[in-house]
Amino acid sequence: MAPYLQPRVDGDLRSILDSHDTLHRMLDTLGSPLNLVLPDRLAANVRDFETTLRAYDLGGTVYFAHKANRSSALVRALATTGAGIDVASLGELQHALGAGIGPGRIMATGPKSREFLWLAARTGVTVGADSVPELAELAGIVAAHGLPRVRVMARLSGFASTGTTVLSRASRFGVPVSALDPLWTVLDKHREQLDFHGAAYHLDTNGIPEKAAALEGCLEAMAEAQRRGFGPRAVDVGGGFGVNYLADSREWEAWTTELTGAVLGQRPPITWDGHGYGLRNEGGRLRGALAVYPAYRAVAGPAYLDRLLATASTAHRRPLGALVLDNLYDLHLEPGRALLDQCGAVLTRVEEVRDGLVRVAANSNDVALEAHGVLMDPILVPRGEPRPDDGPVEVFLAGNLCLEADLITRRRVLLPRPPRAGDLLVFANTAGYLMDFSAGSALMQPTARTVAAWRHGGDWRWCLDERYWPVTGREETG
Amino acid sequence: MRYDSVTDIIGDTPLVRIDEAVHGLRNIDLYAKMELFNPFGSVKDRAAWNMVRHRLAGAADRGDTVVELSSGNTAKALAVIAGMHGLTFRSVTNRMRIPEVKDLLLLLGAQIDELPGRSECLDPADTDDPLTRMYHTVSAAGGGYLHTDQYFNDLNVEAHLRGTGPEIIADLDGRAPDYFIACVGTAGSSTGVARVLRRHDPNVTVVGLVAGKSDFIPGIRNLDEVHEVGLFDPEVYDTIEAVSSDEAIDGLLTLVRRCGTLAGPTGGGAYQGAVRYLRGVDAGLTERRTAVFIVCDRVESYMSYLRERRPELFRQPARAHSVRTLTGDELAAARTVDVAGAQEWIEKEQPLIVDLRSPFAYRALHLDGSVNIVDDLFEEMLRGGLPFSRRRPVLLVCPVGEKSARYAALLTRMGHPDARSLSGGVIAWRDAGAELVRD
Repeated sequence: MAPYLQPRVDGDLRSILDSHDTLHRMLDTLGSPLNLVLPDRLAANVRDFETTLRAYDLGGTVYFAHKANRSSALVRALATTGAGIDVASLGELQHALGAGIGPGRIMATGPKSREFLWLAARTGVTVGADSVPELAELAGIVAAHGLPRVRVMARLSGFASTGTTVLSRASRFGVPVSALDPLWTVLDKHREQLDFHGAAYHLDTNGIPEKAAALEGCLEAMAEAQRRGFGPRAVDVGGGFGVNYLADSREWEAWTTELTGAVLGQRPPITWDGHGYGLRNEGGRLRGALAVYPAYRAVAGPAYLDRLLATASTAHRRPLGALVLDNLYDLHLEPGRALLDQCGAVLTRVEEVRDGLVRVAANSNDVALEAHGVLMDPILVPRGEPRPDDGPVEVFLAGNLCLEADLITRRRVLLPRPPRAGDLLVFANTAGYLMDFSAGSALMQPTARTVAAWRHGGDWRWCLDERYWPVTGREETG
Repeated sequence: MRYDSVTDIIGDTPLVRIDEAVHGLRNIDLYAKMELFNPFGSVKDRAAWNMVRHRLAGAADRGDTVVELSSGNTAKALAVIAGMHGLTFRSVTNRMRIPEVKDLLLLLGAQIDELPGRSECLDPADTDDPLTRMYHTVSAAGGGYLHTDQYFNDLNVEAHLRGTGPEIIADLDGRAPDYFIACVGTAGSSTGVARVLRRHDPNVTVVGLVAGKSDFIPGIRNLDEVHEVGLFDPEVYDTIEAVSSDEAIDGLLTLVRRCGTLAGPTGGGAYQGAVRYLRGVDAGLTERRTAVFIVCDRVESYMSYLRERRPELFRQPARAHSVRTLTGDELAAARTVDVAGAQEWIEKEQPLIVDLRSPFAYRALHLDGSVNIVDDLFEEMLRGGLPFSRRRPVLLVCPVGEKSARYAALLTRMGHPDARSLSGGVIAWRDAGAELVRD
């Protein structure tokens, strides 16, 4: 049997997932699939990141990357903290403003429409610009509509490294650091419209050396900005702090070894149709690379930030955290996935069990494990009276679309006992990107409703996501 | 002994018996094949030289670049050889984890390309990993690369078929050892030596050692990674066992402290893995047996690796005048001065202003008239005593006034009568609208 990949679940998430009656009641009322979010945990995660920043005496704001989850409850809960929000569309900006997050705590990033730029400038949020033309367009809008000066950050890319050449994936976004002159020109020309606040990077990698090179590159660019008479105040290190999804590193190591063996034909397949997740067998040799998220990560979230800030700059031989502070800069960051660690789960109902195949009332767009390459087991929540323990079974998990490809995961999943129709399979810790990022209504199958839950004394209270406001019954009347 | 070229020294390494009192095996003579005596320091000198020597003619004229996926000894040897023949060397790696080796390669004139980390926002459709892409680039004919391809190149194995293996048999008076234990990196040395020994005596037992999955021993691949190695053939080994970095360091310490053999962690792992395996068979033996393991390279390059894993080995004497030894009372008694107070004080008494931030930050903006001594350097200076007169008042500044308070307390303890810290630091100074200058 292939090993378990048991999810790491703790705190409130563990507690509510242990409340089987509550979960069944929710699903009976609102149908499958159902998204569950825990707004209070988001606030706790914000504090953990802030604590790491403060350990380096750094000022700065933790901006929640909204794209990781659409929930209103999460954004409204965020409004009660000191954190900011990173919005990447007009809709997300409206959502954030409507949730009570003030413009001073909003950063607009990503590809932007003119409407998005206008609302950003009109309300006075910070604009994280991807390119020089975007800055010029923004300045044009500000000038034409007589809007107040906009605080802007410039996303940079193509960072050079010292000593060794640190290779990085090419990015479509950002101003190349090798050609910053157009940036200085546009900022200089539009000093009336644009207030240059600092440089930003956002790298799609978990490699510390690449991020260290990028952070150094931003600091160099900001030193150049100082020389040119700008007064940059903050450097933005983006996101990508990661989540550790699994409870036990040994399960991850054992499973990946089994996959290697299966790809090499040394053992029967442990995936649908012998899928190799990027690994291939070429003449008995292993080729390719494992194209999945590293589900077990010893260093993730705030600990990853700490690791980055403790890394010494190769050019200045000083920890990057100290170097940012020396320069009197704030350090902004935009975690998405990492801020949503332990903040939610997707609940699905088992529809049918046959021949090693379990079909749930949800599809691979509702639980986006495959799309994001995250491999972990669901939690089985049985219905009704306790049944005799028949021991573990290996099953494939199929979705509710009439597509051969609609598998919740292509892994063969080990469940501690055979599931039955009516039981729940709960995909824990899926609030970041795995919940509603790509959910749609293919085949007119129902899309998940979202429920926000919170502790009230010893009980759990819950309501529909859109009806959640941080005031819900939590305060005494004055 | 006279040689025409340093490459002539490669190979013919000694076989040295390990004292029984050290390894404790009663019926087995354990020998170390001292590959660390190769001229560039490791067993990889043999493979590196064998893979390029026939291809050097014309390569310099064409201006080819020698390229290899290596972060360690193969890269080191190739960099030296490339330099000797007027070629450039480029090392491509995602495993450059030993800073001393990195620095040495740069010193040798190598170019090092570090591959990107794993994608955080994964695109499962993109299975073309950077390593494969790089491999295609350097393997293309006429691309200007002399790609040695150590993980797939049979010349790597051949170096040991012709050198290492026969040398062992010759040094054991024409007999193959009963046991041969080797760490598996490129599988070149273990495969080459094993073939020679088996040809001589089919009863030789070959033990391959790999690293645990989440562990890291320089030069050894883990249980899954060995399957990516073209030269790796499971049939070569009678058994494959895992050895941990902890065991490798234990073995290294035994070799360097008790055997006069300055082995690196791979040699340490081979020793420890050999003794662990042989202990199991030793008890049941009734006649004498011989065993050979390979000492791959030298210890000197692995100081930071060892320091990270066994900091207690490098215990330092307590340092005089260190901010780390300040008591809470001393810190609380440190004199501080706020921005307004500092401005007045500077005007009246012109204290020496010491800015403890990095030169990079100081260059951008600082208090007028201040001198820049970055904190690490300042601490180093104070170790020898006060670096300025007691009669001159001192204002210490840092970003937020935290470090400067510590140094003010330390200067006070060292007998300075008037050392003060700018409370709130340069950030408070800036936020109060006080003047900051660039020179």
